[in-house]
Amino acid sequence: MALSKNRLVVSCPTEEQNLIKELVALSTTEQIRKIRELPVSFEEKKHVSRSNLIRRFGYSIKSVSQSLQLWRGIMKEIGGKFGSSVLNYFVLLKWLLLFNIFSFLVNFGFITIPLLVSDLSPNVSPNVSFRGLELLTGAGYFNYTVMYYGSYSNETFRGLVDYDMQLAYFFTISVYMVLCGLVLIFSMASSFKKNYALADAASNSAWQLLCSWDFSITNEKAVNQRKNNLRIQLKESLSEKAHRERQTTSEQLKQYGIYFGSWLLSTGLAVGCGASVFYLCQYEDEVRKSTYCCRNPEAETLLVPFVVSLMNMVIPLFFSLFNKFEQYSSQRKQIYALLFRNVLLRISILGVLCYYWMNTVPQKFTCWEPMVGQALYRLVIVDFIFLMLGSLFGEFLSNVIGTKIQPRLGVPEFDVARNVLEIIYAQTLAWIGIYFSPLLPVIQILKFFILFYLKKVSLTHNCQPPRRSGRAAQMKTIFIFLLFIPFFAGALSIVAYTAWSLTPSEHCGPFRGLNNTFSVIGEWIDDVNKLSSTQWVVWIYQNVIRSEIFYFLITLIILVLIYIFWQLIQGRKELIVLLRKQIVNEGKDKSFLLEKLVKCNDSSHASQTESRGRGKESEDLSSGAKRGFSRLQRSHPGHVGPATGPE
Amino acid sequence: MGNKQTIFTDEQLDAYQDCTFFTRKEILRLHSRYHELAPHLVPMDYTNEPDCKLPLALIVDMPELKENPFRNRIVESFSEDGMGNLSFNEFVDMFSVLSEMAPRELKAIYAFKIYDYNVDNYLCKEDLEKTLNKLTKEELTPEEVELVCEKAIEEADLDGDNKLSYTDFENMISRAPDFLSTFHIRI
Repeated sequence: MALSKNRLVVSCPTEEQNLIKELVALSTTEQIRKIRELPVSFEEKKHVSRSNLIRRFGYSIKSVSQSLQLWRGIMKEIGGKFGSSVLNYFVLLKWLLLFNIFSFLVNFGFITIPLLVSDLSPNVSPNVSFRGLELLTGAGYFNYTVMYYGSYSNETFRGLVDYDMQLAYFFTISVYMVLCGLVLIFSMASSFKKNYALADAASNSAWQLLCSWDFSITNEKAVNQRKNNLRIQLKESLSEKAHRERQTTSEQLKQYGIYFGSWLLSTGLAVGCGASVFYLCQYEDEVRKSTYCCRNPEAETLLVPFVVSLMNMVIPLFFSLFNKFEQYSSQRKQIYALLFRNVLLRISILGVLCYYWMNTVPQKFTCWEPMVGQALYRLVIVDFIFLMLGSLFGEFLSNVIGTKIQPRLGVPEFDVARNVLEIIYAQTLAWIGIYFSPLLPVIQILKFFILFYLKKVSLTHNCQPPRRSGRAAQMKTIFIFLLFIPFFAGALSIVAYTAWSLTPSEHCGPFRGLNNTFSVIGEWIDDVNKLSSTQWVVWIYQNVIRSEIFYFLITLIILVLIYIFWQLIQGRKELIVLLRKQIVNEGKDKSFLLEKLVKCNDSSHASQTESRGRGKESEDLSSGAKRGFSRLQRSHPGHVGPATGPE
Repeated sequence: MGNKQTIFTDEQLDAYQDCTFFTRKEILRLHSRYHELAPHLVPMDYTNEPDCKLPLALIVDMPELKENPFRNRIVESFSEDGMGNLSFNEFVDMFSVLSEMAPRELKAIYAFKIYDYNVDNYLCKEDLEKTLNKLTKEELTPEEVELVCEKAIEEADLDGDNKLSYTDFENMISRAPDFLSTFHIRI
C-alpha cells in the first residue's frame, strides 16, 4: 500500500520496544529531543512519550519566555513578505538593542544609583540652566549631570557595605566589554559552524532548484517576483555556460585597469575623508580658542559630527557607482568589495577622530573625559538624524522617482548591506562612548527603538523584495564577523588604550589623581593583601595576570593547538575525497549486481519455458529475490548496495 | 498556566509538547486555526480524540500555504492516506517540521518526500522537471527545462544512477546553509 512507502514504519512491536529501550537509556532532555526528531507521524510518537511534572513546569517557563519576545509579530510579517536576508537586518537590530539594554541596566545599577543614593551628586553651576540646545550638543547643563564621566566621584561610600566607586566604575565597564566580546565570539563561531559551506553551492542548478525556494514567503506579489527572478537566474546561468569564452588580453588588461583605478579612487577617498576630518577638528579648535564673539560657540561643535555623517551618507553612493562599472566574476565578490570599501571609509574616519581625542584633547582641557563623551554624544545624535534623513532620501524618494518620474528604475530594493553597516557603526560609537559617558546607552536604546519602526514602515511602503535570493546565512556570518573584528575590537582597544596609557583628569571623575586607570587595580590588590584570608587573589594577580611568562606560554599553547586542528582539517578533506570515490564505486557495484540479477531472472525464465513442468519455484525464487531487493531499497533510502568492503 | 481550557486534556497537551516543537499556547493557537478552516466539521472538544480529517482543498487555502508552489505536495506528504486529508495530529506534525526549531535532518527527510512526486524514493528527472515547472510558472522552454534538470542531476548525483537518492539529496542539503531558514513556514 502507499502507506508503507511513505513512512519509516514503527509498527511491529519488537521495533517499538527496541526504540523504547534505547530511549530509556538516555536522559530526559535527550529523550525529548530524540522523540521530536523522529521522522514518524505524531500518532506513533504518542505511544513512546511519557510526561512528568518537571517537564510540564519547563514547558510553562518556555511559553512565558516566548510571549515576552519583542516584536515577534512584526518579524514574522517582514520575513513573510521580504525573505530572510532583509529579516537579518531587523534581527541584528534587535540583538544590538538587547546589548544596549543590558549595558544600561548594568551601568545604571552599579554606577549611577549608588551615586544618586549617597547624595554626592555634583552641584550645578548657578548660571547654567537647561536650554533646548543641550539635546543636540550634550554640553552645558548635561555636563553637570550623571551623564558624563566627570560627575562621578572617587570616594568609597560607607554604609551597609563599603562601596568603592572607583572599583565599581572600572569593573562595570570592563566586565561589560568582556561579556560583549565573549557573546560576539560565541555567536560568530556558532554562525560560522552552521553556515560554512565546503563548496560554493549557490551558483549551481541543483541548489537553485531544490534549496533556494523560500517557503516562508506568503505574499502573492513577492512569490511571483521570486519566480520571475529564478527564471531569469536560470536563463542567465544557462547562457553563461555558452558564453564562457576567454577574454582577450586587451580586455583583461582593461579589466585590471578598471579594478586598479576604482580601488585607488576609493582608498583615496577614504583616506581623504579621514584627513579632512582631522583638519576640521583642528580648525574647530582654533576657532574655539580665538573667537569670543556673538556666534554661538556651542553650535559650532556640531560642525564636525555634521560633516562626518554627511560623508558617511554621500561617499558610499560613489562606491556603489564604481561598483557598477566594475565587473566581478561573481556577485558575491561584488558585494564583498563594496562592503570592504564602506568599512574602510568608516574605520578611517573613526580612527582619525579617536586619534584626535586621545592625543590632543587631554592636553587642551582640564576635565577632558567629559569632553570626549560630549563629542561622542553629538556624533550619536547627528548620526541618528542623518539615518532618518537617509531613510527619507534613500527609500522614499527613490520610490517616488522609481514609480512616477522614471519608471524604468523601478521600486527600490532594501539595501541590507548598507543598512547593517550603519547600525554596526552606530553601535561602535556607543561602545567607545561607554567609558566616557556611562548613560550613553539610553540614547542608543531610544535611537534603535525608533529606527526599528522607521525602517519597518519605510520598508513596507517603499521597497520591493530583493531580486536575488539566497546567501542570507553567509551574509549573516559576515555581518557578525564585521561587528566583531574591526568595530568591536577597535572600540575595545580605544577604551583599553585610554585606561592604560592616558592620565585621567585631575579634578573630575572617579579616577582623579591617579597616574592611569589601571592603578586602581594595584591599589585594590594592596588593600586585599592586608587581609590574610584573600592571599590567593594577590598570588593570582602577581603571578598570573602580571607575569609575562604566563601570556607567552598561553600563546604558544594556542598556536600549537591551531596547527593541530589545521592538520586535522586537511586530513578530513582528503578523507572526504576518498569517501566520495567510494560512494561512486558502490553505486556502480549496485547497478552491476542489479543487471546480473535481471539476467539471472531472464535466464531462469528462458529455462522455464523449455521445461514447464519444473514448477514455478525458480521463478518465484528469483522474482521473490528481486522483490525483496526492491523492498530493501524502498525502506532504507540511501543505504542500498551490496556491502562491498573498502577498496 | 492558569487559564482553563476544555479543548484538550493535560495529558494530551503534554504529549503534543513532547512530540512536536510547539509550546502549549502555540498548540492551542494551531487548534483554533484548524477549527476556523471548517468550523462545522472540527469539534471544539478534542478530549476524546475525534476522528476528523479535513480535505486537501481546505488546507491549501490557508494564507501560509496559499501562494506556495508546493502546497499540494506538502500536505500530501504529511497525510496518512497520501491524498492530503489531514487530521489535527498530522496538521500539527506538518507545522512542527516546518517550524524554525526542527533540525536539518528532519527537514531534509520531508523536503525529499515533497519533491518526490511519483513517490518512488528517488528524485528522478521527471520529479525535477515538475519541481522546476512549479517554480518558474512554466515559462521556460522544454529544452531549457531538460537542460537544467540534467545539470542538477549531474551535480548532485554521487552514485551515478542518474537519479537522486536520499543520500545525494542530504549531501546537497548539508552544503546549503540557507536550507534551514528557507524550508520554514511561520504560523
